[in-house]
Amino acid sequence: MKYVCSICGYVYDEDKEGRSFASLPESWLCPLCKAPKSMFAPEKKIKERAAEKAEDRKEGASEQEEERTDRPAEQAGAEKRKEKSGREWEEETTGDGLQKLSAGALAALCSSLARGCEKQYKEEESSLFLELSGYFASMAQSEPEGDIDTLTELFRKDLDEGYPSVSGAAREAGDRGTQRICVWGEKVTKILYALISRYQREGTAFLEYTQIWVCSVCGFVFVGDTPPELCPVCKVPSWKFDRIEGRSAE
Amino acid sequence: MKKQVAVRNLRLCTKDCLCLYVCPTGATDTENSVIDTEKCLGCGVCAGACPSGAISMVPVTYPPQQKKAERVLGRSYPLANQKARQEKMARQQAEAAKANLDRKEAADDGTSQKERNRNDAIYRLMTAVAKSVRLVNEDLLRESGYMLPQSGNVHKLLKEWAENPPSDDFPVQAAQKLLKLLQDHERENMEKNRNKKKYRCLACGHVFETENEEPVCPVCGAAGINLEQVQ
Repeated sequence: MKYVCSICGYVYDEDKEGRSFASLPESWLCPLCKAPKSMFAPEKKIKERAAEKAEDRKEGASEQEEERTDRPAEQAGAEKRKEKSGREWEEETTGDGLQKLSAGALAALCSSLARGCEKQYKEEESSLFLELSGYFASMAQSEPEGDIDTLTELFRKDLDEGYPSVSGAAREAGDRGTQRICVWGEKVTKILYALISRYQREGTAFLEYTQIWVCSVCGFVFVGDTPPELCPVCKVPSWKFDRIEGRSAE
Repeated sequence: MKKQVAVRNLRLCTKDCLCLYVCPTGATDTENSVIDTEKCLGCGVCAGACPSGAISMVPVTYPPQQKKAERVLGRSYPLANQKARQEKMARQQAEAAKANLDRKEAADDGTSQKERNRNDAIYRLMTAVAKSVRLVNEDLLRESGYMLPQSGNVHKLLKEWAENPPSDDFPVQAAQKLLKLLQDHERENMEKNRNKKKYRCLACGHVFETENEEPVCPVCGAAGINLEQVQ
């Protein structure tokens, strides 16, 4: 039986490794992207997967990813539930017309446009957008209830409701661009969720005396002395990773 | 009116200087290695000649962006707002850890070294999370119809901010400057299409459209009284 990492696609082959996936310790991490065991799922054969896709289409349920993986058994029944809760989630937040973008979202919009200008070699325009971005970031509402537990909960909500909702609509509209950012966004949100959960369980030991790297293209986060050769999510080379600087003078 | 300009990627440039040899205007030969876009004709010979592929031809105007389905936007906008909240939370956590570090710098015994390591790790983790969520949100917003700075909806936003600043300390001049510097290619495309007229060539029968004030038949070259404007 093969198990596939839902973040980077690494395949754990039980026959090759000579050890069942279940027998691996809970602290075992994906050798490529360091995702925890919970992010792995059994690989289904292509024919089985195609038959399942046809069934899903008939029942009108939504699919999650285009990869040759299946959701772990306990989440299988949640497939249909996710599509339904996606619609509810939309209704409770949009109401009539498009929801306004918050100050924090506008800050991200402006920093994105600044980067767009930079790529077109328009330096003045880029710094003007950064000025606007800084303004909106300063206007973003404070989050007094924003502790680690809430953050974990919100990541979980993105994975269970937010992303399935957006990617479902994108698939219906034939919007490949939005589908792509959902694939990347889900993977990055998964690794953030895994890292924060691990910090909550174990404390900071696994982060001390090593480095934290962020992929400057997709946001994937990697903990280790050196960044991976290729980003597990977007496949850019290691030099695209930024090291997070500490504050204390050691 | 040139359709494209040459841009040099300094990371890839290995100073083979073939672009200098072939450029008809000397646009590629500058002190700071940035190609002179005023002199550049957009002929593209330098890009073809460069053995390292360090020069790209970048369009001067861009086509209008693809429209996004309302149903998709109705869901991506709330997700973007959600992401912004997550980013703010992570930043606040990082600030809190940083504050702990700055405070405890005064004391200097064994136990506070342990605390310093812990707070430093939390600071770095939360900073990484904030950065990551910001990047994901930028990606999401680009695919929500804000891919290019030259798009019509970016102009709409800038105009709205310039005319009705969200608050007193909003940097209005920045928004106004951007409106002046950036093209609005959707408006330009609309105007171009408005100025487009249809002609039939009376010499060869070819029917064509152009916004050119002095139209010429692209098939046989006839002009003036040999062209008839049609609806």
